[in-house]
Amino acid sequence: MTSPTTAIRTESLSRSFDGRLALDGLDLEVASGEVLALLGPNGAGKTTTVRLLNGVLRPDRGTATVLGLDSTEDGDEVRRRTGVLTENAGLDDRLSARENLGFAARIRGFSAAEAAKRVDDQLERFAMGDQADLPTAGFSTGQRKRLALARALLHDPEILFLDEPTSGLDPTATRDVTNLIGTLAREHGRTVVLATHFLGEAGRIADRMAVLDHGRLRAIGRPDDLAAELWDGIPADIDLGRPATSSVLDLIAAIEGVIHHEVRATGTTINVRDRATFARVLHALAAHDVDVFGANLRRASMEDVYFALENRFATEREPAT
Amino acid sequence: MTLAVSGRNRRRTPVDWPVVWSIVRRDLTAVRRSKGVVIPMLLVPTLLMIVLPLVIGIAARRVSGPTTSISFLDAIPNRLAEPIAALPPQEQLLTLVLGFLLAPLFLIVPLMVSAVIAADAFAGEKERRTMETLLHLPITDRDLFLAKLLTGMVPALAVSWGGFAAFTVVANAVSWSYVDGLIVPNQLWLVMIFWVAPAVALLGLGIMVRVSARSQTGQEANQLGGAVILPLIFLTVGQSTGLLLVDITVGLTVGAIIWILAGLLVWRGARQFTRDRIASTI
Repeated sequence: MTSPTTAIRTESLSRSFDGRLALDGLDLEVASGEVLALLGPNGAGKTTTVRLLNGVLRPDRGTATVLGLDSTEDGDEVRRRTGVLTENAGLDDRLSARENLGFAARIRGFSAAEAAKRVDDQLERFAMGDQADLPTAGFSTGQRKRLALARALLHDPEILFLDEPTSGLDPTATRDVTNLIGTLAREHGRTVVLATHFLGEAGRIADRMAVLDHGRLRAIGRPDDLAAELWDGIPADIDLGRPATSSVLDLIAAIEGVIHHEVRATGTTINVRDRATFARVLHALAAHDVDVFGANLRRASMEDVYFALENRFATEREPAT
Repeated sequence: MTLAVSGRNRRRTPVDWPVVWSIVRRDLTAVRRSKGVVIPMLLVPTLLMIVLPLVIGIAARRVSGPTTSISFLDAIPNRLAEPIAALPPQEQLLTLVLGFLLAPLFLIVPLMVSAVIAADAFAGEKERRTMETLLHLPITDRDLFLAKLLTGMVPALAVSWGGFAAFTVVANAVSWSYVDGLIVPNQLWLVMIFWVAPAVALLGLGIMVRVSARSQTGQEANQLGGAVILPLIFLTVGQSTGLLLVDITVGLTVGAIIWILAGLLVWRGARQFTRDRIASTI
């Protein structure tokens, strides 16, 4: 059963095109306010997932529940409460920025006056007021993406589906868009599903990552937790001001979840199963009056984790020799 | 007004007319700014409805004796030929060409306008990569399809009826000094304009909906759907050679057949116009 804080839930969600499986039995749960990065190479099933979640495609098998609604049966209601940024901005080049946004506002049921106000607000928010009445044909990729994002946010959606939001953007525009997505999630509590193969941006803003490979969900979790599975624990450095004594090492070794420990000139380096274990180690040291001058959990980046997973999948796909 | 459809997983909901008209307005605004669509759409009606009657009017001034229309009159049924044959030579040409021969040719106008706009509205959305955005908006498949049909139908009828109004003025102006009374509108023209032309416009839409489903660009859809004009050419050739004379009875019958054909095509198109099917091809 979907809990009240579950924004998205899928069960065995599958879809094929012309006999080719694009998505194969996706089981997924995304909490309200969470930012989930949907990662994978081209053709992994990211866009298909977004389309299925938003009720644009019908599943061959399985179900998708978004905001408590069945995406297939209540697609229009789901789409009323979600905002989507597609990989291509999807702007009509013959219309102005204002007209493109105004059209979306009217479709979303706003009165002419309310639509005009929201459009003006969004154009201002995205610093596009000066270009409001220009045809979008002359816009740069960055401007088009910003306008498309403004359109996706026009109605304050509860869930944002962002499909490659920064593809084609220059570094500054990428940073701006990434910051905005982060702000939406952190300050406005929006649930965000970020389908991308740009790992840097995903790593900066996503709480969890889900890795799709040939239509199958191969891994999901926090990068730290996935890293712990991949590399037999998360490495952490503890600065004690001097090499750790044997009593300190014994104390650390006795804590459940500590996989490995070794002495360093300034203390010790340990491998812990998860972040909670690291917290227990620090509590134990404090409880035994051990001076700790610094502690650093070496967090694996999303990029590190992703490529490690990709290598693992590639190895698994290789025929046994 | 409440229109409702039922189908696989489609609930009975009233048509959201504000949404439908928003789509129609957006599409027509975009079409108006597209020279590639507007110029051919206005060129043919201008030639047929304004230039051609002017040329016929000028030609009629040069007629002094028996004309070729006399030999043509031998080929058409007496009930139509006799009243025309009794007219003075200059009046014969004007009445025959403007009053009768042009009527089936005129059907090219609604057909072409609806087909060109439908190609832009359906396949053009794919070409401009705006279709996916549209599919992610809260619009029912039925309302989206209806909006796209109206986007083609409204200008097709506006151009046809507006063109006919212009034709009426020009045709009567050029024949004023020779003809006693108005050449158009006559009964045949009224049947063509208000019965056959809307059917032909819908036929063009029905065909382009099917063609657009298989096309990725508006141009490709136009090329594939170009064959739609062939039956009208047969009709026009038949009319001008006397092989198939479109009188009021034929006009009503042909109109009824076209309505049925167009209705079937649109019905089938509507059944196949689903988000899922469209999203699978983009």
